[in-house]
Amino acid sequence: MKVELLMSLYPLLLVAVILQFMPLLTRRGIFFSATVDPEFPRSSEGRRLLRSYCWQAALWTVLVTLLTLFSVHAHPNFGRMIAPILLLVGAALSYWRKFREIHERYGVKEPEVRQASLSSSPAKENFNLWITLAPFLTLAAVAVYLQVHWNNFPLRFPAHRGADGRADGWASRDWRGVYGPLLFGAFLNVILLALAWILSHESRKTVMRYVTVRCVQFLLYPLTLMSILAALRPLLSTSLWLGQGVLLVSIAGLLYWSYRKITAPSAKDEVPEPRGDDYWKAGVFYWNPDDPAIFVSKRLGIGYTMNFANKWSWLAMGTIVAALLMVGQFR
Amino acid sequence: MSDTLTLRVDLNSTVPAYRQIVDELRILLVNGKLAPGSVLPSVRRMAVDLGVHFNTVAEAYRTLAEENWLDLQHGRGATVVKRNTPTAYKAELVQEFRHRLRALVAEVRAAGASAVTIQAELRELVDEVKL
Repeated sequence: MKVELLMSLYPLLLVAVILQFMPLLTRRGIFFSATVDPEFPRSSEGRRLLRSYCWQAALWTVLVTLLTLFSVHAHPNFGRMIAPILLLVGAALSYWRKFREIHERYGVKEPEVRQASLSSSPAKENFNLWITLAPFLTLAAVAVYLQVHWNNFPLRFPAHRGADGRADGWASRDWRGVYGPLLFGAFLNVILLALAWILSHESRKTVMRYVTVRCVQFLLYPLTLMSILAALRPLLSTSLWLGQGVLLVSIAGLLYWSYRKITAPSAKDEVPEPRGDDYWKAGVFYWNPDDPAIFVSKRLGIGYTMNFANKWSWLAMGTIVAALLMVGQFR
Repeated sequence: MSDTLTLRVDLNSTVPAYRQIVDELRILLVNGKLAPGSVLPSVRRMAVDLGVHFNTVAEAYRTLAEENWLDLQHGRGATVVKRNTPTAYKAELVQEFRHRLRALVAEVRAAGASAVTIQAELRELVDEVKL
């Protein structure tokens, strides 16, 4: 029962921690997705609004945690699946109210001056061939190792374990069972790289693009390590906790690095994203029919969102969802 | 062509975006900052960077091509070509120039600029032209 409780609270607490820090992960001059004076977040009023949001998010966390604790016996899936979503919805409501308040009372209307480089070869993030290929070459080397030690594999071995460490999924000594984790890792790497490549070619040159592409390139390594550890587990009894630990530390490091980058003053050659708050529905959904861009820097957190007024965005989103479903099927 | 050359468009301005693109590019062309052989970004690239419709940029490029500044070839983008300055020009063009300049001179004089300052500015602007 303790394990069930832990498994129910773990995703909830993870979401709660992220929600507390989320408003800080934004560009200079943006606060709760509203355009403000760059000094406003540090003003007493800005700090009051941030504290108010944090308290509201914490209250939602307490409320949902209590619901989880009371329902853990009757509905163990509530904590794992529904509680984090409920917490997200609650915090999103608080966030949206803050966005409206800041936009209406402290919002700044900046001139919509756009800038384009006149270089015929647009600046894009560099994809170093060896840095990009290294994870795939490592996966291939491990595949060769598995082939050499094929006979050492048991005919049937655990493919997945529950929180209590007991096997709850099994695989056989066939190509899918042996190479599955490596193929899954390679497929995930390809999708991530494709996304990074499309972003570097099809979005405006901003610090967010640089940060996103570099984060994805870096994440290939801990993800590849996890795939390798999973593939070698039947032979070497490797621990997946090592991979998960490396992944968590990597994500924490990347978040800190990204925060430093995106809150720094903009570079001179940066191509500005549209500034109007009116393009941002509820502060998070970008809707601008006049903008041909598909991908736009997010105002909240790291990465990109889509221009929902562009029909090509829906096609791109459909493709990404289809790719993720394929990954899910493969798993 | 220098990679630091940029083009700016103010979407809040009363001047249409297409006209602003034409004006900005023409200044760079006349001043020689965009030399013959320079290749401009594709219509798609510039439209995405500026956040304007593709047709807005395409129309601006077409206007400059009609003025013999650009060579537009499908799939190859817009290339700056060597252009011979026309020897004959329409009298209405000079009249229009005079009309607009008079209004501008009146505006800055009313704001306090001296006649000497205005003369110096005009001379500097004419000297910038490499044609």
